[in-house]
Amino acid sequence: MTLALPAPRLAVASRPNRQLLAITLITALAAVPLIAALALDPRSFQGDSVWLKPLKFHLALTVYTGTLTLFAMLLPEGTFSTRRWRLYIGLVSFCILAEVVWIGGAAALGTASHFNIDGIWGTLYGLMGLAAVTLTSLSLAMAPAFWRRRESPLMLGVALGLGLTFSLTVPVAGYMSSNLSHFVGLPVTGARLPLFGWSAEVGDLRIAHFLATHAMQAVPLAALTGNRSAVWAAAAGWTVLVLWTFARALQGLPPF
Amino acid sequence: MPPDQLFQIANPLALLGWLALAASPLAPRAAQSVAIAVPLLLSVLYSGLILANWAGAEGGFASLPDVQLLFASAPVALAGWVHYLAFDLFVGAWAVRTARAEGIAHWMVLPCLMLTFLFGPAGLLAFAILRFTLTRKILP
Repeated sequence: MTLALPAPRLAVASRPNRQLLAITLITALAAVPLIAALALDPRSFQGDSVWLKPLKFHLALTVYTGTLTLFAMLLPEGTFSTRRWRLYIGLVSFCILAEVVWIGGAAALGTASHFNIDGIWGTLYGLMGLAAVTLTSLSLAMAPAFWRRRESPLMLGVALGLGLTFSLTVPVAGYMSSNLSHFVGLPVTGARLPLFGWSAEVGDLRIAHFLATHAMQAVPLAALTGNRSAVWAAAAGWTVLVLWTFARALQGLPPF
Repeated sequence: MPPDQLFQIANPLALLGWLALAASPLAPRAAQSVAIAVPLLLSVLYSGLILANWAGAEGGFASLPDVQLLFASAPVALAGWVHYLAFDLFVGAWAVRTARAEGIAHWMVLPCLMLTFLFGPAGLLAFAILRFTLTRKILP
């Protein structure tokens, strides 16, 4: 018996949404002067260059809105450009710019952005939490348009992925922000996982945040099988993975 | 006139040009006139300062310590400052003109103007990024 996988229909239905493409490009290009600063600035914060964190956020937000731009291209022209969508995506774009200015500004001053509750920074931290939830809500808001076409495995995967990105990220990131540290436990040796820099020693809440946020890329990949059940299984499996890494971190343990 | 006093005149003059640019949607042509006239005036001041003080100044352009030595002379340092003021404003006027011609909303240009006013090239870069994002253009 041969296993014939029907190729998923990856038909592009529309041109890129202007606003989503614009915020993606601007977030990516605004990282260029930060790379220059990374090369020129000897200051470090918690063991890394002060510019590493802003660059990570520019990368993450570029991937986020870039993925949303690609997903939107699967739907008919104009799906996300009615007046209400334009206002909403405008608000999300403002929140994204506010986040990167806040994080970049704190880096320039050599201070903490997240978990910084000193004076004016404490007010900003609260506001930026609100902005973070607002910008993440775009994933959930876009999900129903794909859910309506869920007979296609790809559309189902995108809808579930988008829904999970919001539903998993908000509680994990919300817990992390109120924890006032991404660690659970106190690192002694400072051992880290390669590339990502997560703690290999104590609980690190950023792992669950990372996996939760990337549900929107991971779950649709299951649509490559052309099988809707596989997509459902991927969504369930990814949720378990996020909850497992979250639970490990809460216990003060590294993922493995 | 001593360099201190000229400095006190040059700064508000430049600020006038920036205010004109910020409010330019109200009177685009008048704003452009102010924002070009001020850099030209500053250029006259710059040229005068250089003609009067270059020969007596130490240092030069060949190395960083030479440049630092150049700025040790107050009138030459003033000339350097006026150079910033003039060119930054000229760049700001260009950004406003370009944005208007290419349909970029003025409120989006305002943060770029602010950056150009404070940190010259950073503002130019910000406007280049904004312009490329919205119009896919880089060249004038």
